[in-house]
Amino acid sequence: MLRMEKVSKNLGDFVLRDVSLEVGDGEYLVIIGPTGSGKTILMETVAGIYNPDEGRIFLDGRDITGEAPRNRKVCMVYQDYMLFPHLSVEENIAFGLKSRRVSVGEVEEKVAEVSNLLGISHLHPRRPGTLSGGEKQRVAIARAIVMEPSVMLLDEPLSALDGLTRERLRRELKRIHQVYGTTIIHVTHNFEEVFSLADKVAVMNKGEIVQVGTPEEIFRRPKCEMIASFVGVENIFRGVASKSRGMTEIVVDGLKIVATAEGGGDGEGNDGERSDKLNGWEGREVFASVRPEEILISKVPLKSSARNSFSGRVDEIANGGMMVKVWVDVGISFMTMLTRLGYEEMDLKVGDPVYLTFKATAVHVF
Amino acid sequence: MVLTRSPPETLLASLSSKEIQFAIVLSLKTSVASTILCLLVAVPAAYALARYDFPGKSVANTLLDMPLALPPLVAGVGLLLFFGTSLPGRELADAGLVFVFTPLGIVAAQFFVNVPFMVRVMRSTFEGISPRYEYVAKTLGCTEGQALWRVTLPMASNGLVAGSVITWSKAIGEFGAVLMMAGATRMRTETLPTSLFLNMSCGKLDEAISVATILILISVISLYVFERRVGGLRL
Repeated sequence: MLRMEKVSKNLGDFVLRDVSLEVGDGEYLVIIGPTGSGKTILMETVAGIYNPDEGRIFLDGRDITGEAPRNRKVCMVYQDYMLFPHLSVEENIAFGLKSRRVSVGEVEEKVAEVSNLLGISHLHPRRPGTLSGGEKQRVAIARAIVMEPSVMLLDEPLSALDGLTRERLRRELKRIHQVYGTTIIHVTHNFEEVFSLADKVAVMNKGEIVQVGTPEEIFRRPKCEMIASFVGVENIFRGVASKSRGMTEIVVDGLKIVATAEGGGDGEGNDGERSDKLNGWEGREVFASVRPEEILISKVPLKSSARNSFSGRVDEIANGGMMVKVWVDVGISFMTMLTRLGYEEMDLKVGDPVYLTFKATAVHVF
Repeated sequence: MVLTRSPPETLLASLSSKEIQFAIVLSLKTSVASTILCLLVAVPAAYALARYDFPGKSVANTLLDMPLALPPLVAGVGLLLFFGTSLPGRELADAGLVFVFTPLGIVAAQFFVNVPFMVRVMRSTFEGISPRYEYVAKTLGCTEGQALWRVTLPMASNGLVAGSVITWSKAIGEFGAVLMMAGATRMRTETLPTSLFLNMSCGKLDEAISVATILILISVISLYVFERRVGGLRL
């Protein structure tokens, strides 16, 4: 278990103020926060690059506050990979084991094992300069995980990658986390990463931790305006996915939401990609989100080709001037948006029975 | 002009003269020695200037840049006064390290004129390497020294090679400071530029031109290596 107690550090441009944080064994903690909020310096302080001005850091009960980075069993992966350009991929992965003077046979064995897991064995003889972004990040992750660290720090590991590569690597991170059971701290700007990976989320702003909780808590009940505007996502549901006549079905609290096979979103990718995604989701826990403006609200059932239609009651109405937000309870709570005119024409009141309709393509699965 | 002045035969003939051979050997020895000294001093100094903040850093930077603007002749006078008349200079001489009018003085002159340049090349090389490489190396079990040795220095190898080559070629061509420190004694402190000067001043044109040709070749080759290694490096 990693425990930070009132850690402060001032580096001029970046600061940490009184950061206290606990990460359990094998836990996946995601840290989010605006640029310059001190996420990277927090990570580098845990890694031992900087000594905190105040406070203490404990790892598995041991005080590591003044410990040199190499004795901490903490490894780090940066957004821009930081692969050593003068070494081959294989030498990069073996770098840390060689520092530990592990025997040659054992180095080979461990490098082969981690390379297999990440599918990068064929890249071994190449130099980092010749790899694609996704390949580079796999190598960087391999280089860290092969050390079997107590804590692995990932500083926006997926941010520099394109959509598809990012999603693949995200799934692999999840798998690696399951296989190795390593405690992971992951910094990101991307809310999909939060939902698909995090056991726990910490929100940082101006060098402080402002909220810690499960992803649902953070997104449903943000503690302050900063978090609300930063996370800014409505209608997120956790459910179990299954395949049904070429579509994805997500069951959320007994409610069946239909999404397309590729789960909406970017809509890119070929057929192989799609079935690949669907098979990956089959029987697994996924998240679905629907943008409020994609949901039609009506007093009578709508006859349309839209695959999702639910009946429920108006829960809450927030009149915000131009747009009116209406929360509808259909078993789970959806938020929809109406224009002022539409709202007046419908004459909605709290408690009214209404119908919600949205297309399968409006459902974003991740 | 210089290259077309004399036919290759006279060039070869002067190359076989004892005096020119002495100058070549002395130049090679002193320039290699001063380049190695430059490396030993400039690499740690440049690394500190690139990586750490310490009091007096800007003063150190200015002091290092000053000799670049100073005429080597003036630097030579300063060195001569230091080694010839100051207390530490005389103590060095008493201890057996005589710099004034000796080959040792040639090395010292080349070193002091070139070390700021070497520091600048190495400083911008180190500044171009993100310290995060070292951070990663440290989390992968390296001490500070090992991180430097296994990661930063190999990554700086282009700058190291280029800096050494250009320093070496500047050392071979150094005249003003060397003349002041070591004088121009034939067959004793006669480096290639000194030899060029001596031969020219007593009218031995063929010898002078063959020495000039050697110096031109050295500078062309080293410039080529330098450009190849550090095309875009900011100095």
